[in-house]
Amino acid sequence: MSVRATVAALLLCAASASGAEPAPMPKPATDAADALAAVIDKHLARDWEARGIVPAERTDDAEFARRAYLDIVGRAPKAAEAREFIDSTDPKKRAKLVDQLLTMPAHANHFAAVTRQQWLPQTMNNFQLAQFGTQFEQFLRTQYRDNVPVDKTVRRILTLKMTVNAQNPMFRFVQPDQSEPDGFNVSGFYSANEGKPESVGAAASRLFLGVKLECAQCHDHPFAPYTREQFWQFAAFFAELNPLTGPRPGFVGPVKPQSDRNTIGIMGTEKRVTATFFDGTQPDWAEDRGPRLELADWLLSPKNPYFAKNVANRMWAHFFGIGILDPVDEPGENNPESHPELLADIGRAFAASGYDNRFLIRALTRSKAYQLTSKMTHPGQADPRRFARMNLKGLSPAQLFDSLVSATGFREPAQIRQQAAMGFAQPGTPRGDFLNRFATNERATEANTTILQALMLMNGTFIGTQTDLQRSEVLAAIADVPGWDTKQRVTGLFLTAFARNPTPEELEKFTSYVDRGGATGDKKKALADVFWVLLNSPEFLFNH
Amino acid sequence: MPSLDLSRRQLLRVGAVSTAVSMSGWMGQLARAAEETKTKPKRACILLWMNGGPSTIDLWDLKPGHENGGPYKEIEAAPGLKIGEHLPKLAKHGKSLAVLRGMSTKEGDHARGTYLMRTGQLPGFAGIQYPSIGSLVSKELGDPKAELPNFVSVAPQRFFAQDAFGPGFLGPVHAPLIVADNQFQAQANNVDALLKVADLDRPKAISAETSGARIDLLREMQEEFAATRPGGIAKSHAAAYDRAVRLMQSESGKVFDLTEEKAETRDKYGRNLFGQGCLLARRLVEKGVPFVEVTLGNWDTHGNNFDQVKNLCGTLDGAWAALMDDLKDRGLLETTTIVWMGEFGRTPKINQGRGRDHYPNAWSTVIAGGGIKGGQAVGKTSKDGTTVEERLTPTVDFLATVCKACGIDFEKQNMSNVGRPIRIVDKGAEPVKEVLA
Repeated sequence: MSVRATVAALLLCAASASGAEPAPMPKPATDAADALAAVIDKHLARDWEARGIVPAERTDDAEFARRAYLDIVGRAPKAAEAREFIDSTDPKKRAKLVDQLLTMPAHANHFAAVTRQQWLPQTMNNFQLAQFGTQFEQFLRTQYRDNVPVDKTVRRILTLKMTVNAQNPMFRFVQPDQSEPDGFNVSGFYSANEGKPESVGAAASRLFLGVKLECAQCHDHPFAPYTREQFWQFAAFFAELNPLTGPRPGFVGPVKPQSDRNTIGIMGTEKRVTATFFDGTQPDWAEDRGPRLELADWLLSPKNPYFAKNVANRMWAHFFGIGILDPVDEPGENNPESHPELLADIGRAFAASGYDNRFLIRALTRSKAYQLTSKMTHPGQADPRRFARMNLKGLSPAQLFDSLVSATGFREPAQIRQQAAMGFAQPGTPRGDFLNRFATNERATEANTTILQALMLMNGTFIGTQTDLQRSEVLAAIADVPGWDTKQRVTGLFLTAFARNPTPEELEKFTSYVDRGGATGDKKKALADVFWVLLNSPEFLFNH
Repeated sequence: MPSLDLSRRQLLRVGAVSTAVSMSGWMGQLARAAEETKTKPKRACILLWMNGGPSTIDLWDLKPGHENGGPYKEIEAAPGLKIGEHLPKLAKHGKSLAVLRGMSTKEGDHARGTYLMRTGQLPGFAGIQYPSIGSLVSKELGDPKAELPNFVSVAPQRFFAQDAFGPGFLGPVHAPLIVADNQFQAQANNVDALLKVADLDRPKAISAETSGARIDLLREMQEEFAATRPGGIAKSHAAAYDRAVRLMQSESGKVFDLTEEKAETRDKYGRNLFGQGCLLARRLVEKGVPFVEVTLGNWDTHGNNFDQVKNLCGTLDGAWAALMDDLKDRGLLETTTIVWMGEFGRTPKINQGRGRDHYPNAWSTVIAGGGIKGGQAVGKTSKDGTTVEERLTPTVDFLATVCKACGIDFEKQNMSNVGRPIRIVDKGAEPVKEVLA
């Protein structure tokens, strides 16, 4: 068998050669996930009925698998993975696929990358801050790899023991205490926020409480009941980042857990305020407990309703493209939750699970709503906030490139793969070029395509190579498999690009195109045309 | 009728008339409207972006005789307007130039200053994604149906502040089409290739027939997908491909082919990336593109400032003067506003390495051409150049002035990514009326 034929066999035929042998399977998902999925179903069914909405049909297996792969491990399935799943007759195969995906290293990588983009967006395209984002992404990767409960992750960040070097007026360097394992990576959170109480405070409020306070930095919040004073009271929990005035100007640290470092001056005024929670209360300040510890205890206390709902809502938004509260960090009268009771129930269940990320992912992906097709069959499904069909989502640049790798068989050099896993893409490589051209900060359900992106996909070197019979991997393999007829070759291309079989109409149309030799009378070149068309299609370029 | 390149407004006007006239009359209107588009171009803006922070005290607001002044002499550009001696060709267009000597801005860091000057906003983390001035202006002046993109960015060096070059909450429809992205070491011999749109040409192995067949098949796939998954994502995908294909297949894509120009013309602009970029800007404006920016880098002259600035002036002077000449010859100078700025100025005090450092406190920018009363400097700095004494001009005032010169209502609001309307230029902006025609 030729090398190419072997590749084709690996990619397309043998289920046993899927290449994604899962790590030891975790125990079958507990009933708690099924129970929460049923709660989700109940709330949404009630809403649909009240509004006279007929939900879309259940996805077929191929659409589900592609969606689950993209959402959980950040790439589309390879042909062999898709075929294995489609062919399986196990009635529990959808839940099992999710369990398997959760154990793949790519899951931790993808979630770390997504979380970094959400938590430290300033590190995505600011060269000076990028390294802090990379550090922090490494920390996040270990958290997702070990399925660390999100409250523990947040506590770790908020209570990091550290030293702040503020001698450079342009930038404060945050150094973790020697006693902190992995402290260097955790400290990326503070450095990326320039070691400033107001920036760290704004981030903590936005990310961990789900309340965006930035507007109140300079004036009272125009649309929400937050005053400027409240913003600075919250920032005061991080006041120890500021240099001490007095005998040691410019140098702070090591930061001691002293409660008197809890005041801050309101920028541009003479006024000083003391750290105060949003509800107007203050901790019982004690010498041996620093302000950040007090904040962590309050924020993560079961009595605080904000945290659980916020983290649950962010997870919902990841899988459905839009949050139950959306934007996810602007609660208030002007931005009502689409399903308040549902969000409260999910938040409670998430907290009750001990903030087990994988439990929540299992529950969400088992819900009927997650398993609806994105094909619209009823006008009532048009509103994305009713979740009556799956929302179309744009791919992140990394999702796109990793899916291209899966589809084309591109062999990315190990070094580049390694860098990518660290959250860095070398400019001038195919990955670097794609990440640059497709960089975006739009929300997934409103993804737009630019002219330059279209040109890159149509005419660029990467797609050009992968749709060239001499230089491609998968295409050449499919074109060369001995003994296949055109239908099998077209089917192979659909499986590798779309992770599904062609419909009878598609098979007929593309087979006839190839058999008549396309525009040039050359069957193999016509196959290349088909592959090009599939890779440029919205079905490939979006998560549906 | 894509080839007629009509603006929506003109089409509406034609439509209104057509109800009252015969079919042939309607066609006549259409033809006349198309003719009008050719002969009467819309407003346009060309931004000359000086990356790194230009030493404006050596260019526009010299301090001869003062120890901060450095070795340069002044030359007269217009009665009452003196500029640096290394811009002699540009000085001939002094009547069109308005120098704003009262610039005083808030950021002295490259990334933050770039963001501030290009969006009018301080960079805030994770909050609102502000559009760059190019996206804002091209949205107002552009024709959404035009064959060419409404915003072209030539040779940007976006490395430190990518966000400051993007469309922000206006979305990718208003993103710049970028040519010669991040070229820090461009050589004269590859300038032509760099200034072409990346990936505009189909791969050599693919014939026009094959390309056409592929695109036909792709369109069918797009239509099927959009039929079952209606919404913005599918629409945007189809629209971007349509525009990309039009650019590939139509004549308008040839605007990027500078070999169409005479050798003397090309020489006049200077055979370098910035010079040829300015020539491209002129060609794009001629074709109705409303916003083009061209970047000239290397202004971060912490050491050996004076040799470097003189050198950079050689590139800037010829290119900018040629641009003014050509726009004037074509009757486009009255409708094209040319803006010159960087992220901040440089310290009046000369450092030990004969360099100047970052200085946002008192510096200059220039606006010329359309909508501008030239031949003057507005604002004044102290004798040592360190403080602004007259017409202190913060970033928002400057951007409001640019908008007014281009005929844009800078108080107009756009919907932002956080669901709140945001003005083109922030509240409290006062345009510098003295320079507005």
